[in-house]
Amino acid sequence: MNAPLFRQMLKVNLKGFSNYAFGSAFYILFMIWLYPGIADNSKALNDLVEALPSGVTNAFGFQGGFGSMESFISGEYYGLILPLLLSIFSLMLSTQLMAKLVDQGSMAYLLSTPTTRGRIAFTQALVLTCGLFFILAVTTGAGFLGYAWFIGDRFEFDASRFALLNVMAFLLFFAIAGVSFLVSALSNDEKRALGISGAITFGMFSLDLLGKIGESIDWLRYFSLFSLFRPSEIVLGRDDVLWQAALLLLIGLAGFAAAIVSFRRRDLPL
Amino acid sequence: MLSVDGLTKIFSNGRGISDVSFRVERGEVFGFLGPNGAGKSTTIRHIMGFMKPDRGRVTIGGLDAWEKQGEVQKLVGYLPGEIAFIEGMTGRAFLDFLASMQRKDSRAKRERLIERLQFDANTPIRKMSKGMKQKVGIVAAFMHDPELILLDEPTSGLDPLMQRTFIELVLEEKAKGTTFLMSSHSFPEIERTCDRAAIIKDGRLVAVNDIHELQSMQRKLVEIIFEHAGDAEKFAETEGIRAESRDGSRVVVAVQGDYDSWLRETAKYPVRSLDVAAQNLEDVFMHFYDRKGNRP
Repeated sequence: MNAPLFRQMLKVNLKGFSNYAFGSAFYILFMIWLYPGIADNSKALNDLVEALPSGVTNAFGFQGGFGSMESFISGEYYGLILPLLLSIFSLMLSTQLMAKLVDQGSMAYLLSTPTTRGRIAFTQALVLTCGLFFILAVTTGAGFLGYAWFIGDRFEFDASRFALLNVMAFLLFFAIAGVSFLVSALSNDEKRALGISGAITFGMFSLDLLGKIGESIDWLRYFSLFSLFRPSEIVLGRDDVLWQAALLLLIGLAGFAAAIVSFRRRDLPL
Repeated sequence: MLSVDGLTKIFSNGRGISDVSFRVERGEVFGFLGPNGAGKSTTIRHIMGFMKPDRGRVTIGGLDAWEKQGEVQKLVGYLPGEIAFIEGMTGRAFLDFLASMQRKDSRAKRERLIERLQFDANTPIRKMSKGMKQKVGIVAAFMHDPELILLDEPTSGLDPLMQRTFIELVLEEKAKGTTFLMSSHSFPEIERTCDRAAIIKDGRLVAVNDIHELQSMQRKLVEIIFEHAGDAEKFAETEGIRAESRDGSRVVVAVQGDYDSWLRETAKYPVRSLDVAAQNLEDVFMHFYDRKGNRP
């Protein structure tokens, strides 16, 4: 790692990190604040959910029902909004950290100093990972804070499952960021990098959504990293998350490692 | 200090450089000349280790520029042809950042250079003019006292006064034993600083010349207005004088190297006015290519 570069990149990106983190924190606080009103009607809502076609409940992650706070939040936030938010974050930042510097040429300055390409790529990967970690840490913190403020002891809340939900979200985006970072490290053109990794990420997102809606095409989900993150099942404690976590971690590590190795060997048009 | 051996790189579009070889000795200032697209930047990219050669190698201080990437950079200062800094910083913040990456305390020299080049380093980079960015780039290339400084079109965007300051700066560093490789279009700059120059065309090194040879190849067009039209006519018909055109008492004559005889001929007549247009470096080379470059 290159400490001055790491510090500089954090400084440049801190505002962006904070915007995402606080946006996410406010959303989750808002959801928690809403929860008591919904919980009082949870019976009616659960009936409503049961009346919906199962494809739709699957797609939006409502199958956990509204019985507990973490299932409400997993459905309302971790099922759709947070994945979208973090997808955008991973795409933008991974493109900015590598392809953009090569495209505009400032990478030439970084490489004109006595540090290896491998170290530069590793540092940028670390910045990306730290950004994701920061956003999810703030979101998790906001979740616990919201529970203490708005809920107290009135409703049940399984803290460890909520924490696990956030760990899994982090691992999912570690994997997705790893893939985007690889695309970014291989690209000379910023727009092209963003286009390709955007197509991959949102393509996988759509495959997962389609697979969830249509029972007959649920094999589509095997092609999507998003299927390794099932918030409604994590909060119910139903899923075997260990191998999913391991798989996501491995894919992420492989993506970042491939990015660093290929960046060391390729020609740069600087 | 710097040696380029049989450097070859062909891109997928068929362009590139082939079999480029030259050596730059310690303390020498080496000019690198040629029209746009000839392969100057490609060669410099290989020296900086941004590209892997198809064949051949570049060594700096005995270290391979591609294999020892990261180590070689300890010896090198670099001014890119297209300067791009990291966004959202002031000039000073960028220089501080770069200095921390160069891992050398260069504060004193940095301040001296900023003073010399006369610019406000606290200006945000996005508000800087081309010339100002160029100055920041020059400070970045010089501040850590590297042994070899690579400069790609160093004076583009600088006003004439600053160009002179820049030349002084190069000469001072040269006196300290710093080695330079610079690509340039400006003849005065090359003339005053370089010991030797290489000429590259279509990816091939056409020649490596002593700078004095290049000087003698430069052709100057002199416009002389004589007092009397008759003198002009007589002068234009003198043997050894290559008159390009004559119009009344005005004669345009081409001079290349033979200043002495030209001056003696001219001095025979009363002269009212005189104007010298130096041929630019590009034209010198085009002329040079016409003679030598077309060999198979």
